[in-house]
Amino acid sequence: MTAWLEWARGPAFIFAISFMLMGMIRHVVLTIWEMHRTLRRAGDKSLPLRQLTLATLKWLFPVGKIRNQLIGSVTSIIFHVAILIVPLFLGGHIALWSRGVGISWPAIPNALADVITIIAIIATVALVAQRLGARATRALSRFQDYALPVVIAVPFVTGFLVMHPAFNPFSYAAVMLVHVMSGNLVLVLMPITKLSHAALMPSVHYASELGWHWPSDSGSRVAVTLGKEDEAI
Amino acid sequence: MSTTSTKYNYFIEEKTLAVKDRPRKFLQAFAAVLEHSSYGLALEMYARLGAKCSRCAAACQLYESSHDPDDIPCNRSELLMRVYRRYFTRGGVLKARFSNGFTLTEEYIDTMADAYYRCTACRRCKLTCPMGVDHGLVTHLARYLLSEVGVVPKALVVATREQLEGVGNTSAIPQPALKDTCEFLEEEFQDLYGVEVRYPMDVEGSEYVFFPAVSDYLLEPDTLMGNAAVMALTGGSWTIGTGNYDGINYGLFYSDRMMERIVKNVAAEVRRLKGKKVIVGECGHATRSAWFIPTFCGPDAPPVVNFMQYTWEQMRSGKLPLKDERIEERVTYHDPCNIARAGRITEEPREILKMICADFVEMTPNRTENYCCGGGGGTVSIDEIREFRTGAMGCRKADQIRATGAKILVAPCANCKKQLREVCEDNGLEDVEVVGLHDLILKVVDFSSLPKASGEGSTASTTPEGEAVEQAKA
Repeated sequence: MTAWLEWARGPAFIFAISFMLMGMIRHVVLTIWEMHRTLRRAGDKSLPLRQLTLATLKWLFPVGKIRNQLIGSVTSIIFHVAILIVPLFLGGHIALWSRGVGISWPAIPNALADVITIIAIIATVALVAQRLGARATRALSRFQDYALPVVIAVPFVTGFLVMHPAFNPFSYAAVMLVHVMSGNLVLVLMPITKLSHAALMPSVHYASELGWHWPSDSGSRVAVTLGKEDEAI
Repeated sequence: MSTTSTKYNYFIEEKTLAVKDRPRKFLQAFAAVLEHSSYGLALEMYARLGAKCSRCAAACQLYESSHDPDDIPCNRSELLMRVYRRYFTRGGVLKARFSNGFTLTEEYIDTMADAYYRCTACRRCKLTCPMGVDHGLVTHLARYLLSEVGVVPKALVVATREQLEGVGNTSAIPQPALKDTCEFLEEEFQDLYGVEVRYPMDVEGSEYVFFPAVSDYLLEPDTLMGNAAVMALTGGSWTIGTGNYDGINYGLFYSDRMMERIVKNVAAEVRRLKGKKVIVGECGHATRSAWFIPTFCGPDAPPVVNFMQYTWEQMRSGKLPLKDERIEERVTYHDPCNIARAGRITEEPREILKMICADFVEMTPNRTENYCCGGGGGTVSIDEIREFRTGAMGCRKADQIRATGAKILVAPCANCKKQLREVCEDNGLEDVEVVGLHDLILKVVDFSSLPKASGEGSTASTTPEGEAVEQAKA
């Protein structure tokens, strides 16, 4: 079991985090490249940059957007903050980074991490419940919309059990293995599911605006490609 | 005259039913558009990011009244995204090799044909999407692709044909009729106000070349008189080009190919007249289409001004003489989506109204968050769906108007005005008068600085067009 655990924390983790980082960097690089290409071809190269940047910031820090759907928005914000803080600032995680690559940063107290972990689990359950509990979201949801919250909740539940052996009915090593591997799974899923919004969200408003900025002869080029340039309306 | 099919919620031309092999043609068009336009990046993002959070459902005035899951903006966009994912992403192509997944069929195209004309592309949902998905862009693109396989509401395609291949404008008003109408309006100025106000035609080198929604010449004499009065009183240099006097661009509603041709015709007329700027009359989509002039004509294209912007500039600097009296009835203002949603024109009309009205009240919500009149995206021209437009689509607008208690509803847009009159009629708001902004300005401007009319030309026009205008006024 120890060997498995070392594998999960070692090669498997290195693969997962590299996959995540390279995938996300690829998304960002390709997006910037495509934005550049679109703008270069566009007939109208002026963008309302101030307005787009404001819209982007408002959604990255969506405090002003809460009023529209109060409960859903609050749950979502709590969820996002909680699942970001614990993995990044738990003392145990930082210790692993320190041991592996020799870098470290300030940790949050373990007691605080416990509280935030419980909040994260509750928020995840609440998000799924809200998804199930409203007509519109039920109609919209796909498999991944239910599966991802579950996959994200697993490392938090197991992490809590690992930190509190008194509550843990299973073997420490087994739970730890599930914890590490489910964490790895989330990392791998990030670039290939809707979780890629973690990297892409800052660029969507610009991409949406660029969607309206066509090349000056885009219409006639489409006509030529389709052989319709002389076709009567 | 083309015959009509009732295959969809709206009429299409019978001849388009003969289009065979539509799925293949749809995909060919999709590929061509992705190659030559700029939709690719946005679609790629939307295909990945859709969070399916349903915030857009709460923003959509249609879903709020219909409660049909197919009317959720995210669900409607998903119709096209599914096609995009399956045929234009590597993952989708690969997946299709190993599973019997989604295939584009004739029936699927029919589903899209109805769905994308149940959306007015008002883009209200974009404001509430955490991921920044512009469902209006998806609707715009989907309609473009549908038009390439012959699916276009007859009302839109017939008007566009008249504009590009027929008389030269969407209402089929021939040049002599335009001149008659303008002469008739000039006589109205003499009769009603005793002043000389002109509609200058083909004056080369004017600062502004005027492009109203051409239907104004048939239906909105007061708006046009307000426009001319402002120009006369402020000494504006403007002209109507007899080569092209139509600001309407239904290309915005169904085809970028048509849009490009119509926009280029506008720019060509301005060049012919050696004019400096385009001034668009009170029309939302005409204004937004004109904002695409730099897109299709490059950075040297003529700048675009909406008439309300011009009028407010003049009023602000005190160049428009006003009478002491103000409009006494309660007035409210409807923001046309095409000029207000992105926040481009929201304050000028309000400043004008506050200056000329004693009792101006806001609708809630307003400005960028205002509800669509219910006839956006060209749907107002589709008469056969009136019940839908004024019912499921327009009832929220009716509630909004009712709540203001206003007797005069100002909507500076030819499409919004037609739609709102029908909304008021069908929702028990018969006592609300729907007008343009310049209709009200006409009532309060002070003509005393203008030269008095010579008094000879007060014979009423007897042309059919003149009568049409008189009837419309009545």
